[in-house]
Amino acid sequence: MKPGRLLAWAGVAALVWLARGLVLPVFLAAALAYLLTPAVAWADALAIRRSVAVSALFTLIIAVLLAAGFLLGPGMLAETGALAERLPGLARQIDVGLDAVVRELAEAAPALRRLLPEGGSWVQRFVLDRGPAEPADLFEHAGHLFLLGILIPFFAFFLLRDMHRLIALVMDRLPPQHVETSVAVWRELNGVIGRYIRGLVLDGLVVAVLAALGLWALGVPYPLLLGAFAGLANVVPFVGPLLSATAAGLVVVLTPGQGLAGVGRVAVLFLVIKVLDDIIIQPFTIGRSVHLHPALLLGSVVVGSHALGVLGMIIAVPVATVLQETPRLLLEHRRVLARRDLRHRPERLVV
Amino acid sequence: MLERPLPRWLAWATDPEQLRRVPFLARSPLFTGLPHRLLARLATRFFEKVYHPGEIVFEEGDPGRALFVVVEGSVEITRATAQGSYVLNTLGPGAAFGELALVDDFPRSATARVATTGRLLILYKSDFDALIDGNARIALVVMRNLSRLLAVYARRSPVLVTEPGPSPETAGPA
Repeated sequence: MKPGRLLAWAGVAALVWLARGLVLPVFLAAALAYLLTPAVAWADALAIRRSVAVSALFTLIIAVLLAAGFLLGPGMLAETGALAERLPGLARQIDVGLDAVVRELAEAAPALRRLLPEGGSWVQRFVLDRGPAEPADLFEHAGHLFLLGILIPFFAFFLLRDMHRLIALVMDRLPPQHVETSVAVWRELNGVIGRYIRGLVLDGLVVAVLAALGLWALGVPYPLLLGAFAGLANVVPFVGPLLSATAAGLVVVLTPGQGLAGVGRVAVLFLVIKVLDDIIIQPFTIGRSVHLHPALLLGSVVVGSHALGVLGMIIAVPVATVLQETPRLLLEHRRVLARRDLRHRPERLVV
Repeated sequence: MLERPLPRWLAWATDPEQLRRVPFLARSPLFTGLPHRLLARLATRFFEKVYHPGEIVFEEGDPGRALFVVVEGSVEITRATAQGSYVLNTLGPGAAFGELALVDDFPRSATARVATTGRLLILYKSDFDALIDGNARIALVVMRNLSRLLAVYARRSPVLVTEPGPSPETAGPA
């Protein structure tokens, strides 16, 4: 490699390293862009200029978010406020229950005493002591969230507006003979990821509505909040539905008058939603866009969780799909090339 | 969905590329009969690339992944024989080639080389498949046109006499 080119690559690598903080907003912006692509394609078909279509779309989204904020915001805020007020009391109640269980276990089976956790107030320590210690930390968290709220739509806007130009640029740089196969691999991956992200969001929305309605019908407190959590958590395969059911179950346990029967009803509700999701909702929303083996699916979620936490769990499936599909498509390419060598060529032409 | 372009007072908001592309595709034999609404959706799925004389678009035996439509310039379709390269056809604006890629995944049966500087529209199979998933009529019209074109090729093109050899699994389409 020529020294100049080597230097250019080193410069690019240094720039990428310096801009690593932008990876998360760019990734989330790409997900948002995938989500909005069908609307932009619809405007393209109407021969509306891309910049006009994307601007109008973002204006509409802001209007919808404001309307949703006015309609659902007060209810959600009231539920969140009430929960935040009750949180210390709830944490104490859970800790008392857990302490009693640990004590009983230790008395019943002294041999287990060494294995049982020592101390108490686990939930209080886990939930209440994790908040920002200083006001400066609170401002830092709020600032980070505010920055994400600005950067994500900003990048998504430009991705939607200029992606086709970027593709045209890449296609012009590729050797003509490789344009067909190279871009084809990317188009296939693009289709799979786009369908998955759009399906996932739609699936989450349906699950959120079903959970909120079900919890409201069962008389469980905070149905909007728990429904929204169920929809959000649903994007994490396996773990998400379990987490949302556990959260709802905990709320029921701590609600006077609900008792074990209430927990049973909530468990049945989430089981029914999960079955409906697997059998009816997902085939319509996500379809067969992702063909990962369940073991690989679970493995990718665990690895994603270890690497990037909650974000890692969310992006695990699309990343695993790309890692699985790229070699498959390249191998298919090689298979077709191998078939070329087996092909029989005509010896002469007869007109 | 609008059937007509935007009104004149909204001309500043129209995309000239799309306005040019839709009537152009409507004249292509492969897309004849498609309603404007579906043609407009199809047109958004194409990519455009400039090719220079002598550049190979694809080679005989390459995996077929896309359909090409000549916008400007000309493209020679050639096939290698024991006697050398044989020009099967020279295609001009409006003509489509590589259309079998939309049907199967067999290797290309001929080589496409750009004869004069031109622009090609490229439609990838995965994009076409995604489009016809929700619009069966596009598939119906395009496949009907493709069958007609293949029938015309079969009647007019030279008959290739081949020696017996490959099994049906390894043999490509003529």
